[in-house]
Amino acid sequence: MQKVIELFYRVLEALLILLLAGMALMVFGNVVLRYGFNSGLNVSEEMSRYFFVWLTFIGAVVAFREHSHLGVESLVAMFGRKGRVICMVLSNIVIILCSAIFFWGTWVQLPINSSMVAPVTGLSMAWVYGVGFFTGGGCVLIALERLIRLLTGRVTEDEIAAFTGENLTIEQMAERT
Amino acid sequence: MTLFVFVGSLLGAMAIGVPVAFSLMFCGVVLMWYMDMFNSQIIAQNMIAGADTFTLLAIPFFILAGELMNSGGLSKRIIEFAIACVGHIRGGLGIVAIVAALIMASISGSAAADTAALAAILIPMMAKAGYNIPRSGGLIAAGGIIAPVIPPSMAFIVFGVAANVSITQLFMAGIFPGILMGLSLVVTWLIVVRKDNVQALPKTSYRERLRATGRAAWALGMPVIILGGIKAGVVTPTEAAVIAAAYAMFVGMVIYRELKPSDLPRVILQAAKTTSVIMFLVCAALVSAWLITAANIPAEIAGYIEPLIDRPTLLMFVIMILVLVVGTALDLTPTILILTPVLMPIIKQAGIDPVYFGVLFIINNSIGLITPPVGVVLNVVSGVGRIPLGKVTAGVWPFLLAQTIVLFLLVLFPDLVIVPARWLH
Amino acid sequence: EFNSRNIRVSNGINADHPVGNGIKAMQECLDQKSGGKLKLTAFWGGALGGDLQATQALRSGVQEAVVTSSSPLVGIIPALGVFDLPFLFSTPAEAYKVLDGKFGDQMNQKLDASGLVNLAYWENGFRNLSNSQHPVTKWEDFSGLKVRVMQNNIFLDTFQNLGANATPMAFGEVYSALETKAIDAQENPYVTIDTSKFFEVQKYVTETNHAYTPFLFLFSKAIFNTYTPEEQTALRECAVVGRDVERQVIADLNKKSLEKIKEAGLQVNQLSPEEQARIREKSMIVYEKHKAQIGPDVVDGILAELKTIRGN
Ligand code: NA
Ligand code: NA
Repeated sequence: MQKVIELFYRVLEALLILLLAGMALMVFGNVVLRYGFNSGLNVSEEMSRYFFVWLTFIGAVVAFREHSHLGVESLVAMFGRKGRVICMVLSNIVIILCSAIFFWGTWVQLPINSSMVAPVTGLSMAWVYGVGFFTGGGCVLIALERLIRLLTGRVTEDEIAAFTGENLTIEQMAERT
Repeated sequence: MTLFVFVGSLLGAMAIGVPVAFSLMFCGVVLMWYMDMFNSQIIAQNMIAGADTFTLLAIPFFILAGELMNSGGLSKRIIEFAIACVGHIRGGLGIVAIVAALIMASISGSAAADTAALAAILIPMMAKAGYNIPRSGGLIAAGGIIAPVIPPSMAFIVFGVAANVSITQLFMAGIFPGILMGLSLVVTWLIVVRKDNVQALPKTSYRERLRATGRAAWALGMPVIILGGIKAGVVTPTEAAVIAAAYAMFVGMVIYRELKPSDLPRVILQAAKTTSVIMFLVCAALVSAWLITAANIPAEIAGYIEPLIDRPTLLMFVIMILVLVVGTALDLTPTILILTPVLMPIIKQAGIDPVYFGVLFIINNSIGLITPPVGVVLNVVSGVGRIPLGKVTAGVWPFLLAQTIVLFLLVLFPDLVIVPARWLH
Repeated sequence: EFNSRNIRVSNGINADHPVGNGIKAMQECLDQKSGGKLKLTAFWGGALGGDLQATQALRSGVQEAVVTSSSPLVGIIPALGVFDLPFLFSTPAEAYKVLDGKFGDQMNQKLDASGLVNLAYWENGFRNLSNSQHPVTKWEDFSGLKVRVMQNNIFLDTFQNLGANATPMAFGEVYSALETKAIDAQENPYVTIDTSKFFEVQKYVTETNHAYTPFLFLFSKAIFNTYTPEEQTALRECAVVGRDVERQVIADLNKKSLEKIKEAGLQVNQLSPEEQARIREKSMIVYEKHKAQIGPDVVDGILAELKTIRGN
């Protein structure tokens, strides 16, 4: 099971690479076309925006799993282990609530987005706005699993350290500026 | 009252460790519930629409350019160039740090990435030459925070989109104040190292200097491309960003040969992850911004500060103090995203130039990156330079003070921002 | 029969646009009819999101109203693309007759089917061409001009068909692109050429009237249906009052802006009626190309109606 999950995230990472590389190629290609050949592809402008939406919301789930979303840890860092665990429980409940509303909102709005197409490519906007299912649902699942482990006392010390903002990597710090 | 519901729910969630992005969503939910207009679609729609903006595409591309600049050896060449030019003068390595920080600021938009590159190379050298280590670390931290002020700048893009202000104009207006910040560091550094007994580097020969310049020339071409392209109106900030990334990749792979094709997936993935973290935050902030606007919270605040509306200088002074206080505890991007929708209507009402405000706001937020207790750039120096955080914090204060003085000079003399901006635009 | 209602009206444009005058007049009318119970709160400059996003919020029943041009909505209602067709109307009077008449009602039904109630057709106005190269008096003069156009397939095709080099570009970048001669020309209503100071970096202006953009005063159908009949009627009637004021202010402002452009030393010319007819004829190829997507009945319907109007 753990292996499957690990593989799943590797696939997501590969997807993130493809999305960012694709965006860069499309926008760069348009610059070259515009200044070199006085033309441009409208598809590129539109698709690069949608790639960006997918990149943002798929990456948000990966980042959540890695505790990379920035927070203000000064207060929780002052608590002892018990206080920190209580904060983790409350924090995960808040995240589940918000993500579930995000998921639900995507569902309610699906008919409205399905009845609208992208002006150039004709892509149904359900494909773009539907990414809320993935992000809302993904974060609910991750937070729920964490909550269950917290309540059954199976949380690891590493997770508590990550929650209190200890041992940040340089890359994680870079995300904060 | 709505204002207190907004602030209370946001701070409450952040205090118990909820990441800022989710805290912003949560305060949006609470506001909806309080205003009796709960609708899950407000969350879903504003979240996604936030990322569906072409202007914001500049963010991943500038992040990518910055990553490629570091992996491709461009940062190293720039620092070597600065050493060859000014390394031999008294207090030289400090001046090197400031010059290199200014050049790197005109290529990259991230304070932490620039600081990490500077600290990795310069702190060991400065230690060897006998400089006071915490003070050197403090200087590098203060130099690193110029990155968001001089274009390109992620901070200006986020502010420009949140406040609906021209990013090109913000970029042009940031150049001179950024240089002023650098100059204030030079002055402060020369004062604090006056009595230190340090070894100056041997003076490099004319020929050697020429060679270092030649090696760095490709890297030094990057600011010319970015700023020149935007200034001439030939490219938009988004296009300039993608050109910068392509250029950094070309120089790193073909000219310096430090970047291998096999490095690319790692570099791109890192840029993608950083992008998601920032963008998810931007999107969540747009949810709360929508509700702040719909609830007319800015009007409520305008009521409290009514007496200041006719006194723009005093109003700016008060706002700058407020931002400094918020910046002690909150990181750059969250501060911009939380405060912009609240402050912008007041700024407009008081008749303050939004570009001028934007520049001061971003300088102030950048200073927040080196104010304790939460100053992430201090953490970077501490981590990369292996100096305890407390010591870096002690070392940074003269420079922090100097940059704060610059900030308030700009409050008193707005022409210091407005005149050069007009001249550059 | 009247309840206290706060109606949030989202606008992509700024408060100094004539829509501001229209909303003021509409509010005065509503105050009279409802005894101050129906209140419009306008949000300007896209403060509540862009026009498309706001329209989607209307369809979800999240927000009450938006004043938007028709172009961004073609992804929801393809028929609205008809208003992007080149050289469709030749005078404001023609546009008003069509929009406020039977054809306008037909479009309103399509909007209604998508959850949007159109209270009235306000306007953004006719678009005209400015450039830095040479006077444009005939079809052939468009050839080779680098023209900035909106990101819109019909606009792109229109200018490419005219032989121009159509370049889509964000509005905020247009001034400096004109200044540095990265592009030669742009097309916008006189008021925009004036307020965005394009006249400072252009030499020639041609009254092409190549496109007329209506503004729609849209209301969320989900919310509208919860209002009492009296409230609904008041909103519809007062939107018409606001519409008339807004159109008048635009007409006045157009004159003032044109004067200012002339004073700035630009050479202004009009297309002769014969040349206008010739260009319209030559532009029919764009009509044909987009007919299937817009809907043949819609395109043929409006052309037939225009023929009757012009015949009289
Ligand atoms: Na920068
Ligand atoms: Na701080």
